[in-house]
Amino acid sequence: MSNTDYQITTSQTIGPFSHEGWQWAVDFCAPARLETSAPTVVVHGVLYDGDGNPIDDAQIEAWLPEAAAVEASQEIPGFRRTPTGKAGEFSLRLSMPERPAGEPAAYVTVFARGLTKHQFTAVFLEDDATLAQSAILAQVPAERRDTLVARKDGDGRYRWDIWMQTDKETVFFDYR
Amino acid sequence: MKFDDVQPGVWPELIYPAYKSTVKRGPLQPALRIDARVPVSRNIDPAPRILLPHDTDLTRRGEKAPLGEKIVVTGRVVDEDGKPVRNSLIEVWQANSAGRYWHQRDNHDAPLDPNFFGFGKMMTDDDGRYRFVSIKPGPYPWKNHDKAWRPAHIHFSLFGNVYAQRLVTQMYFPSDPLFPYDPIFNSIPDEAARQRLIARFSLDHTVGDEMLGYEFDIVLRGRGATPFGL
Repeated sequence: MSNTDYQITTSQTIGPFSHEGWQWAVDFCAPARLETSAPTVVVHGVLYDGDGNPIDDAQIEAWLPEAAAVEASQEIPGFRRTPTGKAGEFSLRLSMPERPAGEPAAYVTVFARGLTKHQFTAVFLEDDATLAQSAILAQVPAERRDTLVARKDGDGRYRWDIWMQTDKETVFFDYR
Repeated sequence: MKFDDVQPGVWPELIYPAYKSTVKRGPLQPALRIDARVPVSRNIDPAPRILLPHDTDLTRRGEKAPLGEKIVVTGRVVDEDGKPVRNSLIEVWQANSAGRYWHQRDNHDAPLDPNFFGFGKMMTDDDGRYRFVSIKPGPYPWKNHDKAWRPAHIHFSLFGNVYAQRLVTQMYFPSDPLFPYDPIFNSIPDEAARQRLIARFSLDHTVGDEMLGYEFDIVLRGRGATPFGL
């Protein structure tokens, strides 16, 4: 192909067979290998389809730009990747350094079989005192903001489910 | 960097009933267009040690040469202004020459090749160019519908230079007779956007008697030069 007028390349699904090819990064950012000088929290949840069934062949990525400096010894500082498990479950251990008011705990990207384009979203923590100052949340209709907020369900643990459809559908972003 | 609206029909349909799995998995609400400084200005920065020997030569991972047609795939990754996307991570994964993935859930009745695993990774160079050596993947059945066979393809995962450029796509091969019957390929409404996923055979990149060359350029979103020539 010679794309000399620079029209964008479109997206395609990861299909069901991404796991072996993507595993190297999952290994590099596994929680047991994480070296960070900041406190950490765990955000965990389930990825659901429109019938409320778990999606068990997805890949979830998280990016924590402010964490890169405190994870400098990591192969990919500030980055996480995990496949969803048999029950659609995922878990992300996130460094929580000081960061600008209202920034999310992580920018999250969802890939899956049957998802023709990856979906950008972000997760915030319910006890973040700066939520009201979030420039991102301010752009989300008030009635849908809850879909981006993880709820505390233990010491340093937060529950955040991702819904692809239904009235609980997670807000997904397209950046300007 | 700035991200213009994508022209209608260029992204695939998120709900495309002919591709059955989309029906309950594609979001129903349109993506919310927002301004967010960080996603359009920063990205991951992987350490060079993530790159291992043979990551760019998928035919050298086994003890012997894999079966099939050896190919070299190369191209440039640029943004919508034609500026090279430099030093940026690319991952590829694919089926073997018989159309089977090295994956526990792939139970297609085709042979696994013990010398071919089908995944690699690389960084683009200063000109945005990437290059890897592989085996031409075979088509394979996928049970979506009667006589459902995927056209031969290689999956690409691209990180770009800023988070919002992230892209996963598939590269197809010229003149594949399966294109008209493949709902994944045809979930893209725009004909030109579909055609841009088809690699070009390249005699220039063909290497003697060793392997055929294919060229596949990739354009990521993003306009407006970043200072310092990123």
